[in-house]
Amino acid sequence: MDTVLRIEDLHKSFKTGFIPKGKKILNGISLEVKAGEIFGYLGPNGAGKTTTLKCVLGLIFPDKGNIEIFGQSNLSMQAKEKIGFLPENPYFYDYLSATEFLSFYSDLTLAKKEEKKAKIATLLKLVGLEHVASLQLRKFSRGMLQRIGLAQALINDPSLVFLDEPLGGLDPLGRKEIRDVIVRLKGEGKTVFLSSHILQDIEMICDRVAILVEGHIINQGPLQDLISEKVKVTEITISGMRPEDLRDLGEHYSAQGGRILLKVFEEEKIATILQMIQTKKGKVHSLIPRTETLEDLFVGAVKQK
Amino acid sequence: MKKSFLIILLILSCGLFMGVKVIVDKIPRSKVPGASIIYLPSGKYLKHATFGYSSLLADLVYIWAIQYYGDHTIAERYDNLDHIFSIIAELDPHYLDPYEVGAIIAVYEARDPYLAFKVLDRGLEKNPDQWIFPYQAGHYAAINLKDYDLARQYYKKTMAIEGAPAIAQRLYADAAFKGTDFQTAWENWEEVYQMTDDERIKKIAENHLYQVKSAMDLAKLKDAIEKYRQINGRFPDNLDQLQSAGFLASIPKDWDGKDYIYDPKTGEADSQLKWWKR
Amino acid sequence: MKIRAIAIITFKEAIRDRILYLLLFFAAVCIIFSRLLVLLTVGDRAKIITDVGLASLSVFGTLMAILIGTGLVYKEIDKRTIYTLLSKPIQRYQFLLGKYLGLLLTLFIMLALMTVIFLVLFLLHKYPIEGSIFIAILFIFVELCLITAVAILFSCFSTPILSTLFSLSFYLIGHVSWGLETLINKMPQGGIKTLARIIYILLPDLENFNFKTEVVHHLPIPPKIFFYSSLYGILYTVFILALAMMVFRRRDFI
Repeated sequence: MDTVLRIEDLHKSFKTGFIPKGKKILNGISLEVKAGEIFGYLGPNGAGKTTTLKCVLGLIFPDKGNIEIFGQSNLSMQAKEKIGFLPENPYFYDYLSATEFLSFYSDLTLAKKEEKKAKIATLLKLVGLEHVASLQLRKFSRGMLQRIGLAQALINDPSLVFLDEPLGGLDPLGRKEIRDVIVRLKGEGKTVFLSSHILQDIEMICDRVAILVEGHIINQGPLQDLISEKVKVTEITISGMRPEDLRDLGEHYSAQGGRILLKVFEEEKIATILQMIQTKKGKVHSLIPRTETLEDLFVGAVKQK
Repeated sequence: MKKSFLIILLILSCGLFMGVKVIVDKIPRSKVPGASIIYLPSGKYLKHATFGYSSLLADLVYIWAIQYYGDHTIAERYDNLDHIFSIIAELDPHYLDPYEVGAIIAVYEARDPYLAFKVLDRGLEKNPDQWIFPYQAGHYAAINLKDYDLARQYYKKTMAIEGAPAIAQRLYADAAFKGTDFQTAWENWEEVYQMTDDERIKKIAENHLYQVKSAMDLAKLKDAIEKYRQINGRFPDNLDQLQSAGFLASIPKDWDGKDYIYDPKTGEADSQLKWWKR
Repeated sequence: MKIRAIAIITFKEAIRDRILYLLLFFAAVCIIFSRLLVLLTVGDRAKIITDVGLASLSVFGTLMAILIGTGLVYKEIDKRTIYTLLSKPIQRYQFLLGKYLGLLLTLFIMLALMTVIFLVLFLLHKYPIEGSIFIAILFIFVELCLITAVAILFSCFSTPILSTLFSLSFYLIGHVSWGLETLINKMPQGGIKTLARIIYILLPDLENFNFKTEVVHHLPIPPKIFFYSSLYGILYTVFILALAMMVFRRRDFI
């Protein structure tokens, strides 16, 4: 599989304060993104995710390191033709209408004039904004801004799309819709670089991830490889029994409204417990094995640091 | 854009504009930098527009004016002298140099003493305690214009101001004399004579009293001689004849009590001494 | 062309800025007020209106250039609209040039509006309109081109307030540099005089674009001056823009 984005040993520090004190943000980042995958870039706030993105996009210049997009320098025009970027909390010229806005961005790329109109219409439909095509951006809600931002990122039909916290501030419906769009992009053969600190989203759609903590990548690889399949705890919802009956099992339980939630940490015990419940004429409503989540991995990794 | 391209562009454009600037400077323009000052409205309103920096602005205008008047290529630069210096006066009435300098420029370069008087008059109006203004005006009137009446008026003004030098009175008396107002001259020289303790000045005053008396007496004599000649067809043989013939009540003597000398051939009388040689 | 796209967008944004119309209002007030000033003087009335009119165009045009120009690039950086722009296949210098040209177009229109007000007043009073007035206005525009470049230069690395102060300083220095020349001529020969002379030639001389006095006093303008003054303006503007590009090209947008 081709590498569409390669970052090698990226270092970046900033001088802040009245008397400049160098603060090192990135301490030798290296990662690779393969074609056609959704890559998750993970890390707590202030880890350096956005800084990395800005280095890749040529908005800031690293102290050291090499960045290649499709095998070319990330600063070259050819590379920029093939990428799109949606920044966090995007802000745009608010007096433009959605159509004018996309038209302007289209003019900045090599897109052909004849195809411009059709492209804009398609994109608006994709992000669900075709009904507000003539509405001024100043009247857009946060979620709508996010979507038009996504449309702008796709205006030149890029092969590699960078999304910085694309689901921030959206309601659950909005988040689902955007997630669907991202998956759809993958379906079209595009590669997506998704930077976020909201783990559930990453977990749901990413193929590979990298975890960034304090300017270091502490973990990188396919999502499945990083999270063990090991079952940590099984949650069983029971009714028709009295809590006292479960006490001698020696496991955690909580009772609420006629139902008891039992947490079993050892897998081997499950069969025995199920049998016991059957004997006592209890009813099992649900049995959910909880594996290690990305959150567990994440928190563990951060704690380690 | 490549860095090297930008640097070349930078150096090239810089060098070129510097070169053009040198060329442009050499092109003579008929305008005078800052000449719009001439066009300023009355300084009265200007003062309010300067937000309290009027005295600084006065300095700047004054400095500009000096350069402007020093530039001999501007032929018509004196046309607005009064206007410009009036602006300075309105902006900072108590800035004394410009009045004096403006007057000097008016007298010696523009050769227009009346312009100087305007400037100095304004100076006195705004600074009534400054005797220097009417004093200088008096000089210009006496020396450059030889208008002794005007000089007298200025010296009188000078004398009225506290702190004026004593010489002002002497100059006043002298101007009065030159303006043939012997009475005033006499009175003032007498006053100077009485008031001073300085021996030298007493002597000067005395000399001038001699001068005035001689002038007065000689005028009387001349008048009588002329009358005699008209009646008798010839000049008298001596001064006593004037008395005996009834044209004069008595023959005056000079300040020192000496007689006046008389030449019967020409009919002219004169004092024995020149007043400054006493 | 990409520069054109940015220029048009900049124009659309700048023309919306209310400061422009406030300044236009004040310029109109000044020009009309000059009609009243005429009552205070005796003599050639057209002179006052011309002088006040040209001064208004110059002063308010400069204020517009500085107030809008200093915010132009800064706002993009501050509001982060620049992130999406520069991640597109567009060179940084194209962005800067586009901003400059967009503002220039805006100023051109504002200057034209003020000129119309000025000419209407003239026509209402049936004063003759001389061709030299248009020359003076043209060179006011040349001066604005340079000042706009300066405002944008400062906007690339400084906050609007500081940029405004620096730009105003540039304007003031440009109009009193002739005073430095007078000073230099009176200096004794030597190293310091040479150094002062070099600094003098380097400093902007905005009086080169000032033909107000000639127009008002009906003095002749040597034709050579048109060519050399324009050339000076263009070269200095190129210099400033090149400086701006140097500053802008490796700037980190945090």
